[in-house]
Amino acid sequence: MSDAPQVRLRVLLFSTLRERLGSSELEVFVPAPATGSRLLDQLAAQYPAIAAYRPVVRLAVNQEYVPESVELHENDEIALITPVSGG
Amino acid sequence: MHEPLPVAEAVSFLQTPEAGGLALFLGTTRRWTDDRETLSLFYEAYEPMALAEMGRLSDEALRRWPVRRLCLWHRLDDVPAGEISVLVGVATPHRAEAFEACRFLIDTLKRQVPIWKRETLSDGQNVWVEEGIPESKSR
Repeated sequence: MSDAPQVRLRVLLFSTLRERLGSSELEVFVPAPATGSRLLDQLAAQYPAIAAYRPVVRLAVNQEYVPESVELHENDEIALITPVSGG
Repeated sequence: MHEPLPVAEAVSFLQTPEAGGLALFLGTTRRWTDDRETLSLFYEAYEPMALAEMGRLSDEALRRWPVRRLCLWHRLDDVPAGEISVLVGVATPHRAEAFEACRFLIDTLKRQVPIWKRETLSDGQNVWVEEGIPESKSR
């Protein structure tokens, strides 16, 4: 663990990722400043299931798609959106 | 919605003297895909975001076409073969813009709205539908 301040993030999971990880929510600590790409890289390193979706997963913050460059904050509602299949 | 979609209610809502054209698209659970038989589809949503995203799509349709009435509904949980999972209805003054707006809404919904489906096949398999994802073929 580095001494850099950490940001505590909660990440919602759905469908295939929820099933593969056996949980609908993850708690992750990311070094500040926490960006979307840092979060995704860290999750991909930690969970092979997320690594498999790393190229296609989209990030949503507070119920809206955001680019990976976004800065994340402790109270954000963060979700990983794997390719959707509604309709 | 977690119940069967009320199509008749949608149609009576969409009918208005201001609109001369009404386009209605219904997506249903298809039983056969080549030689695979689908018994039902299970839909899961990130509900608050799905509703927000459907609201944003509706707003965009209202900006781009002279839409007088609009319905955008999706059913969740189990949808057996033959039943309706999605309803898109648009009423506009003329038919061309009704078709265009309806097509925009269903096509964009399928790409953007956080809803996922899992297929239950007649051979007992349960699979998430992930078209074009290489990983899903190796499972």
